[in-house]
Amino acid sequence: MSDANISIQSVSKAYTRAGETLVVLDKLDLEVPAGEFYALMGPSGSGKTTLLNIIGGLDRPDSGLVEVASEELSQLSNSELAAWRADNVGFIFQGFNLIPVLTAYENVALPLGLQPLSKSERHEHAMYALELVGLADRASHRPAQLSGGQAQRVAIARALATDPGLIVADEPTGDLDRESADSVLELMSRLSAEMHKTILMVTHDPLAAESAGTIVRLDKGRLGSIDHKTAAPGAAAAGKGTA
Amino acid sequence: MLRLVFRNQLKHGLRSLCTIGAVAVAMFLLCVLRSLVSTLDSAVQASASNRVIVQSAVSLFVSLPESYYSKIVAVEGVEKLTHWNWFGGKYPNEQQPLNQFGVRMETFLDVYDEIVFIDGSRQAFERGGNSCIIGKDLAAKYGYGIGDRIPIESELYTRTDGNVWEFDVAGIYESKTSNVDNMTLFFPYNYLDEARDAGLVQGPVGISIYIARVAPGYDPVTIMAAIDEIYENGPQRVQSSSEATFQAMFVSMVGNIPLLVNSIGLGVLAAVLMATLNTMLMAAREQIHDMGILKALGFRDGHLSMLMMGQSLLLAIVGGLLGVGAAMLAGPFIAYSLGTNFPGYEIHQSSVNLALGLSLALGIIAGILPAWRARSLAVVDALSARA
Ligand SMILES: Nc1ncnc2c1ncn2[C@@H]1O[C@H](COP(=O)(O)OP(=O)(O)O)[C@@H](O)[C@H]1O
Ligand SMILES: [Mg+2]
Repeated sequence: MSDANISIQSVSKAYTRAGETLVVLDKLDLEVPAGEFYALMGPSGSGKTTLLNIIGGLDRPDSGLVEVASEELSQLSNSELAAWRADNVGFIFQGFNLIPVLTAYENVALPLGLQPLSKSERHEHAMYALELVGLADRASHRPAQLSGGQAQRVAIARALATDPGLIVADEPTGDLDRESADSVLELMSRLSAEMHKTILMVTHDPLAAESAGTIVRLDKGRLGSIDHKTAAPGAAAAGKGTA
Repeated sequence: MLRLVFRNQLKHGLRSLCTIGAVAVAMFLLCVLRSLVSTLDSAVQASASNRVIVQSAVSLFVSLPESYYSKIVAVEGVEKLTHWNWFGGKYPNEQQPLNQFGVRMETFLDVYDEIVFIDGSRQAFERGGNSCIIGKDLAAKYGYGIGDRIPIESELYTRTDGNVWEFDVAGIYESKTSNVDNMTLFFPYNYLDEARDAGLVQGPVGISIYIARVAPGYDPVTIMAAIDEIYENGPQRVQSSSEATFQAMFVSMVGNIPLLVNSIGLGVLAAVLMATLNTMLMAAREQIHDMGILKALGFRDGHLSMLMMGQSLLLAIVGGLLGVGAAMLAGPFIAYSLGTNFPGYEIHQSSVNLALGLSLALGIIAGILPAWRARSLAVVDALSARA
């Protein structure tokens, strides 16, 4: 399942509000190879969330091609898109987005209900994901009883539970203190390195972006510079060559 | 998903309880009122077609002379004739009078052949004097058995010697039809008559109603006309009717109950539908953000509709079950407090089915709008709604 490349071509999206048209994404192209960890940076209102939602199949562009995990998303109906999300994408949001009336365990097990799994398999997967984020002992806590860092790790466990190829994260550390943010970022790095997840993370925080292998900047609906740090061997070699 | 249905309603426990309570009260009322109507209906339905009832043309509360017996019984086609007098007595320690009737003993059990003895015997009853027969429910209620003496105080027929009336139980009966209930005491009218001759009684003179059994092969309508004709010019005019007409007339004296019940029922239903819908719309709004999360996780529109519909059905069905359950539990008490006006009151299966069916319909209707809203939510909009 860990084979989620992202390939988007000439994607545009505009909002019309009170007669004024606001172009958010302007014929944008982006390639993210499977298994890479990309950080997406840019000023507020530059369209980062919009782009992330389009890639995660939550929103649709006005035009352009969006191919994720070898699926051309515009070809899918709404319910097919929902099924595709359930199988291929894990979401992590700034505000955690856990369901308040459910326990940590129930939140993690929720997306597993859409998978063809037995009850005991669901339990196994959910507990495994909670152990991975180090919160197995908080399984029966409600979101309100968890700290921000813990809540975000539960959200990560939920994103992982179905073993999707792609993880999209929208400012996952935005509401966290430094220490909690670091533990979340460390977890994301491990997902990329050890589990070969493709990760696209929006962040404002330069330190957070450092965890990613590649930093992409977005400004006024277009891609700016792309920074490969440890990415493709060729890029790394070129970097060394100029040093 | 099912867990979410319950948790979301538990979260607003008081509000959910109020809604469930409203549904329960409505269904309770519906069940009780509906059963009242079917009780009345079934008494009319169960009426014997071979009985003709003769009352004063003025009113049911005006007595007829005893002398009418011989003329009515002589009408061709009248097989047997008996008569009833309401006694209006109270059993010991009771506030309300219950049903006792002084009847023409010799023919009573022939005219009312649905009355069968489960204890004692017809011969014992027809020995006369202060003998009586009582319905099995009456016997069970006060624990009376054969040979027991029942003291009764009547406000209609008071005794001048200051004693209470006393009747000895000669038989316990069970009625095979619902137009005669099992809570009544019948005693020989002669006993009352003789006490009056002895100067022991103060009270109305005459017979409340005569009841004729029509011989096979005769048309009750012809017989009714013949009886009415005898007294067309007095001394006191009578009005004959079939037993069904008589029962229905008795019902209409209590007002046009079916119409009343139906309009009350409709009003109550409309009110409780609004209350449930209101709760569901609030719930839907509160859960928009959760629904955004669920959609992001890959739950389909159908799942979300079920989440809303499930909560609506939960409220309506739990409410309905509570209401119907309460109506069934309260059945005997209601029957008791209605007393003699509605003999044989019980919660009918059809009322239970109706109330439960309406609860289900209520749940579905109150769930449609929230369910439809849930499916038409765009994921990104729902996610950006604050919880
Ligand atoms: N549903 C919407 N309707 C109208 N405008 C929107 C909507 N969503 C986002 N926008 C606008 O699009 C622009 C980009 O938003 P967003 O992608 O959230 O930016 P970022 O995440 O980079 O801060 C912003 O100016 C925002 O106001
Ligand atoms: Mg944003």
